[in-house]
Amino acid sequence: MIINGVTIDETFAEAFPMKGTRLIITALNAKWAMISAQAFTGFATSVIACGCEAGIERELDPSETPDGRPGVSILIFAMGGKGLAKQVETRAGQCVLTSPTSALFSGLDSDKKEIPLGQNLRYFGDGFQISKMIDGKRYWRIPVMDGEFLTQEKTGVHDSVGGGNFLVLAESQAQALAACEAAIEEMKKIPNVIMPFPGGVVRSGSKVGSKFKALNASTNDAFCPTLKGQTKSDLSPEVESVMEIVIDGLTKEDIDKAMRVGIQAVCDLGAENGIRRISAGNYGGKLGPFHFHLQEIMA
Amino acid sequence: MSALTLTLKNAPAQRIDCSPLTPEALADKSVADIELVSGNSTVRVDELFDITGDDINNIVINNSNGKLDFIGKAMTQGSITVNGDAGAYLGQFMEAGDITVNGNSYIYTACEMKSGQIKINGNAGDFIGGARPGYKNGMTGGTVIIAGNSGDRTGDHMRRGYILIEGDAGDYCGARMVSGTIAVLGQVGAHLGYGMKRGTLLLQQAPTNGISANFNDCGSHTLAFLPLMLASFKKLDSKFAELETFSRVQRYAGDLGGIGMGEILVKL
Repeated sequence: MIINGVTIDETFAEAFPMKGTRLIITALNAKWAMISAQAFTGFATSVIACGCEAGIERELDPSETPDGRPGVSILIFAMGGKGLAKQVETRAGQCVLTSPTSALFSGLDSDKKEIPLGQNLRYFGDGFQISKMIDGKRYWRIPVMDGEFLTQEKTGVHDSVGGGNFLVLAESQAQALAACEAAIEEMKKIPNVIMPFPGGVVRSGSKVGSKFKALNASTNDAFCPTLKGQTKSDLSPEVESVMEIVIDGLTKEDIDKAMRVGIQAVCDLGAENGIRRISAGNYGGKLGPFHFHLQEIMA
Repeated sequence: MSALTLTLKNAPAQRIDCSPLTPEALADKSVADIELVSGNSTVRVDELFDITGDDINNIVINNSNGKLDFIGKAMTQGSITVNGDAGAYLGQFMEAGDITVNGNSYIYTACEMKSGQIKINGNAGDFIGGARPGYKNGMTGGTVIIAGNSGDRTGDHMRRGYILIEGDAGDYCGARMVSGTIAVLGQVGAHLGYGMKRGTLLLQQAPTNGISANFNDCGSHTLAFLPLMLASFKKLDSKFAELETFSRVQRYAGDLGGIGMGEILVKL
């Protein structure tokens, strides 16, 4: 398949099951809601070393938030419910509770499973915390130095998908980056997904396993342009730079949509802007059960 | 199916225990044959009421009288509409459903209620949402709306849920309250929050009797939970649904004669 001179490889991206939740952070103004959200989602690019993958889904208008203040919606994913609970709790405690004027709410209801949000943070109130049941949901009012920190007790957990991806193969680093930026701009408009890496783009895509026993992932040498003559390369001579966009989403369908608009944005730049191929992180079925076939997505 | 309508023939001489007249208690029974306890004897439902309709999930009591006690006791579904007054212990132990009284209700309305909704379109008696004498936990959930005034000791030992009073509340409002929320649009009587442990008394206007010395002024504050809570009232058939949202209040903490974790919030 070729779109605007860009070859779409006959391959698929492999993704794996994760547990995810959506949180809503509000504050006195959009600036401080964003600051808190950025702190919460910091160092959350990959479960390999961060324990979770998190990102900002979008900014929320006051009419969309529970307390009628400006807010930010974030998604956070981990490999299991326990890991997710730990990450949510520590990040909420250190990045939201501490952030001036903030409040923290669940953005995802679940009948199946819930994890603590403010359930344990409440003890920071040292006995002065106050519980309120509003519309069947419990909230905690925790006295803090700037007033009260309001947080919902629990948030729902959703069976999610992590690690959807595609690779942009370009003639230069600058062209690969420009194409990825264009893709991210479009993908941000899709709900229920995040691109957890810096700016949504990862330049150090990995393969499963390593020659070093201590590592379970290592550089994806087949797509490293400097190794074309040293390894079993997947790159043609014109390709000088490869960048990857990784997508986590609440459902496979959400990732499908995000990949479609992202790949389309890259293809719109086309061969004339140095984009040669779109490929994907395919690990021969070793990584996960969710397969995103590029040509089917773009059909 | 039309609502099961029970029209009281004559004002009873004795108090009547109406607890068998709930949707779940009437299932698979002949309504007319049910015997209700009255004083030290019993009386058949068809001797007391004219009976029409057959939808037991929608019960209407017409010509009701303040001697009809225990209406909606422990009900778990459906609705009961009382046209007239309701006696003592209306909605006691209620778990779900809704009760509307187009009249007044008497002592111990919503006593130890667990969930559901009760709306009194007239006035309500003492001990709304309270605990039975000797018991420590009053209502543990649900919403009670009083369109008129409430009697004394509203929310006595209340543990959870909402009591919303559109008119005035009597003396000892929120006394011995363990938790939950009582909101009053009108005035409150003496000894507000007496012995209150936790919970919130939300007042639309400052009490003319002042705040008890057992409550300390914590200053004026913007509390984020208030807009959230007020928004949850929007779905109610009540003046509380029309309240303009606010978050600015004067906060008083008490009763300091006890653990002092309760609060009186007065709208600023």
